Amino acid sequence: MSTLRLRGDLPERVDLLNITPLALSGLSEAEAGKLAIGTSRRGLTLGDVFEIRLDGSDSLVIEGGSSRLDRVGAALSEGSIRVEGDAGQRLGEGMAGGALTVTGSAGPYAATGATGGTITIQGDASDHAGGAVYAAKAGLDGATLVIGGKAGDHLGDRMRRGMILAGSAGAFAASRMIAGTILVSGALGDHPGYGMRRGTLIAGSHGALLPTFVETGTPDLVFTRLLAQSLKRLSVPQAGLLGGTLRRYSGDLATLGKGEMFVPA
Amino acid sequence: MAAWVKGGAADVDAAVEAAVDLLAAARVPVLAGLSADVSALRAAYRLAETLGASLDPVSGPSVYAELGALSAGGVMTTTRAETIGRADVVLVLGNRPWDGDLIGEIAAAAPSRGRAAGAERALLSLGGPQNGAIRHVAYAAEAGGLAVSLGHLRAFAKGHLAGEAAYADLAKRLFAARYGVVVYDPEEVGELGVEMLQGLIRDLNETTRFFALTLADPFQGRAAVQLSAWTTGQAPRVGFGRHQPEHDPWRFDSARQIAAGEADAALWLASLPAPRPAWLGSLPTIAIVGEGSTEAAGETADIVITVGVPGEGVGGALWNERRGVIAYTEPKGPSKTAEALTASGVLARIRDRLIEKGVSC
Repeated sequence: MSTLRLRGDLPERVDLLNITPLALSGLSEAEAGKLAIGTSRRGLTLGDVFEIRLDGSDSLVIEGGSSRLDRVGAALSEGSIRVEGDAGQRLGEGMAGGALTVTGSAGPYAATGATGGTITIQGDASDHAGGAVYAAKAGLDGATLVIGGKAGDHLGDRMRRGMILAGSAGAFAASRMIAGTILVSGALGDHPGYGMRRGTLIAGSHGALLPTFVETGTPDLVFTRLLAQSLKRLSVPQAGLLGGTLRRYSGDLATLGKGEMFVPA
Repeated sequence: MAAWVKGGAADVDAAVEAAVDLLAAARVPVLAGLSADVSALRAAYRLAETLGASLDPVSGPSVYAELGALSAGGVMTTTRAETIGRADVVLVLGNRPWDGDLIGEIAAAAPSRGRAAGAERALLSLGGPQNGAIRHVAYAAEAGGLAVSLGHLRAFAKGHLAGEAAYADLAKRLFAARYGVVVYDPEEVGELGVEMLQGLIRDLNETTRFFALTLADPFQGRAAVQLSAWTTGQAPRVGFGRHQPEHDPWRFDSARQIAAGEADAALWLASLPAPRPAWLGSLPTIAIVGEGSTEAAGETADIVITVGVPGEGVGGALWNERRGVIAYTEPKGPSKTAEALTASGVLARIRDRLIEKGVSC
């Protein structure tokens, strides 16, 4: 297990794109220490910011976190990264595989464009978790995003495929969603599913509902039972949502209208 | 011409020198405001490149509400002159379009060109102030705001919802247009709403002609978008910290950078009037402001330099909302002092001194 121990408070945002177990495996500690990760005119290297201990393994632990650690695990394709603390924006951006865990909270745009692997945020996620960044075609794109605490506004904005699990979410959850599945064990904020085209949103409760979502009864669907089985294996609290009868809403009728939202009846 | 350093009157050379020292000592400088003519914007982008600073126009919320939809799916827009000449149906969204003279001008004329020539012009509003001074058919907005209302309207336009609702009637009127235009302020409608509206306009264009007439922000944001595009290839919120223009609307939001304690020096450029930022005074700041403005005083910032106001004391290329282009604007009269300083000149002097001192990123 390789470790990067944060030396102290960060004087500027740092960009950890390319700091993955695979990228570090071929480097000596001295070589790794020279990698540029700063974003300001002064610049910082990996060695400036972290005490580095490398053993060539496929797991990396970042001891100590900061909301200024951007793009942690962004290029991860295999192995694991664990952050013991907080992470900044674009956690796991475009990640293709492996496991990425943050024990604290994450900044905006977590898991944006991630195509594979599992991203776990044990604390809260800021706005646009699983959402698309500026000018991107899609947000979450096949990976699994697990948020233990609260998610901010625009959870899963323009999400295309994959699954998001969260404790609660802010306003405009699943906005402009293209496809995929979002399960929120607690409450959603106002106006979930704005501009949603396809996809499934399941939540404990919701705020103000859009006038373009219509109730379509309480169907007993095979899909929800299959989803419940797969979630049981993960032993996540969201599995409890699927135990009883679910009321289904169809929308967003302003767009394609093939999306659906379920809440316990 | 006036300049202040630490509240005390100073000559411009001393103020420039102090500004150079302030910026040279910074790790993460930001150039904010950018309410200025094109040559000053260009000088600001050059200074940012030399310094490794980031830029953020005060018009950011308006600019990005529009660019978000543009970058995602494109927008269909028209001009003020085309609207007045051709439109037989004009839908006015929200409150902001009613502030200027635009709606009065549209209401006073009838379509004279194109397929709707000779027809009457129907003026419709959604979520407007309903002041009654200009005759129009008013529709109320939903409780959720304009974006929610636009989604509801679009559902009726698509035929996904039906019934006797007011929005069903409004959708019918829009489809009956021969040349329709929606007038809106992007900041008021918001990015999600603008994208929904542009979707509605695409739907309407299946059977008729329909366009958007978007109001420009009053702080030269449209000029900054164009200048940033031709200078950096990106939208305005770019940073040069890593020797190349990086675009990141979240990271380079100057108010966020300053609130988070990331930025350690700021240059506020407002040779044209702009709302005073709440963060002035919270970090070392240089203010380049128009002469005669309320900010032209020693207590505005650590270093204050007044410059000619483009279109007033000095000439300058500015966004012309009526024509929808950048156009040169003559000075209205002689400057209060004999040789007026320009914002671009001051920024270029700061940059030259930084280069002379060997300070660059």
